[in-house]
Amino acid sequence: MVAENKGIEPGGGIVLDGISHAYSGRKALDNVSLTVPRGESMALLGPNGAGKSTLLNILCGLIRPDAGRAIVAGVDVSKHSSEARQNIGVVFQDDSLDDRLSAWENLEFHGLVYGMDKPSRARRIDEVLALVELSEWAENPVRTFSGGMKRRLEIARALMHEPRILILDEPTVGLDAQTRAKIWSYLNQQRRERDLSVFVTTHYIEEAESCEAICVIDHGKVQVQGPPADLKARYGTSLIRCLPRSPEVRQKLLEKYPEAQRLSGDRLGIVVRDQAMIDAFLSEFGSSLKEILIDEPSLETVFLAITGREMRERDEVNSKARGKRNKRI
Amino acid sequence: MSKLTILGRGIYAIWLREIMRSFRDRGQLIGGVSRPIIWLLILGIGLNPYFRGEIYGEVRFVIPFTYLQFLFPAVIVLNIMYTSILFAVSMIWDREFGFLREVLVSPLPKWAILFGKILGGSTVATMHGFLVLILARFADVTLGWDQVAWALVLMFLLSFGLTSFGVILAARVRSFEGFGVFSNTIILPLYFLSSSVFPLDPSLTRTQTAATYPEWLAMLVQINPITYAVDALRGALIGFNQFDPWIGPSIIGAGAVLFFFIALVDFKRQ
Repeated sequence: MVAENKGIEPGGGIVLDGISHAYSGRKALDNVSLTVPRGESMALLGPNGAGKSTLLNILCGLIRPDAGRAIVAGVDVSKHSSEARQNIGVVFQDDSLDDRLSAWENLEFHGLVYGMDKPSRARRIDEVLALVELSEWAENPVRTFSGGMKRRLEIARALMHEPRILILDEPTVGLDAQTRAKIWSYLNQQRRERDLSVFVTTHYIEEAESCEAICVIDHGKVQVQGPPADLKARYGTSLIRCLPRSPEVRQKLLEKYPEAQRLSGDRLGIVVRDQAMIDAFLSEFGSSLKEILIDEPSLETVFLAITGREMRERDEVNSKARGKRNKRI
Repeated sequence: MSKLTILGRGIYAIWLREIMRSFRDRGQLIGGVSRPIIWLLILGIGLNPYFRGEIYGEVRFVIPFTYLQFLFPAVIVLNIMYTSILFAVSMIWDREFGFLREVLVSPLPKWAILFGKILGGSTVATMHGFLVLILARFADVTLGWDQVAWALVLMFLLSFGLTSFGVILAARVRSFEGFGVFSNTIILPLYFLSSSVFPLDPSLTRTQTAATYPEWLAMLVQINPITYAVDALRGALIGFNQFDPWIGPSIIGAGAVLFFFIALVDFKRQ
């Protein structure tokens, strides 16, 4: 049933072909096509309301698209939703564990619902609990788990029925850097061992960066698609981010650089054309700024250039995480 | 691995989760035990002496049973009503806390998810009905195994219908708080208007009906489907029917089928 797919091998990854969907007349997705080959990963980026959730819901078979086809591991999701779902593991953005049941009971439930027999349930529960290092916590009710432990358990659960596609919706949001790194190490290990295709939405630059491909959607349309390095080369710009000391300075800055983007927290973003421009900027405004950062071309500047918005509101965790790539002056 | 086995495992898992939940939820269990004790042992025993009429100066029970015996099947229905209709809370819980999504992305078809859930809820409700059945001795009701078996069938079908009814309500109520108020304004009126605590049949209590009950009350009791559920259980347990004996079981069976399909249509739409 996959033969008609343009060069995608049977049992391959994810193929979305001309997906459109509208909610009561308002278009959420408009002719979205993308491909994630088997064993590869793709990060889906987009501002809030860009259509990411709709796309994920279509992939999991929760929503039937108005037009187009979604093919997952060689199976058309809307035609054979049961078979397609058997091949998909999903980690939702919000908790979806039963916190009155123990970790083991949550996994046993999952195994039964996916039709696994008793020996394979027992084997896989042990395996996935060991993978996410929760073996000693198997009998404890999920109620007593920390946020990071719950996430790890959800990932264990999504992997338990040996899916070929993993769909992750903001899998690490709200977790500390250490836990995030841990979760990605489990995921990457599984990807290598099991040839999993991974489709992930994230607001963390470094998580998107480690994927083979990136797809930016906005206003329900695919804006760009390709490997992170290509996108950076094509769309990446250096960006001066600055916080003017006073409204007057801000006004002057806006007059001098009318194309400046207004960022969160009264900051301005100015696209850097060359080194001379940085020098000119610093000599004129260097002493009337509260704060200045010069971003190297990064996915974040790609995102900003394409959507006109920042990937996420600036916060402590994020600026720390980005520190490595920024030249602080 | 056959499709049927997979389906069976899924429904079993969803059913089992409801059963485990009910045993861990102390509040629900305490309600299930205390309700029949209050209704049967306190109200029933307290009112027992007054359930008599005087005909030609001769004191006798208005129907050929003591009040306790008369009340006993109705308390079973009451216990089932509470547990079944409050099962909607479990539906709302799953929806609000995201667990429903985990089940919806599984390979199980929607009807199987709903069937497993309602089956679980009705099993728990039947168990709560059975808790009352254990008190039969205190109500002077003696039961044979065949009576118990037939009563359990009726109780299960009633539970299934009412649980589906609860699910239909849950689809229309957005919050837990809203549901708390809603359920009490439904359960108790339905119960009191079901000829549960007073008999209605004019052929047995002609003088009393005419003297005591206004027309509107008699009418409300007659259009209330719970009336016929109570009547069916009275028929099964104490051998007393106010209506034709086949009416009660038919209404219970029809309700189970009808409400399940309405619940299914709702569930598929959401």
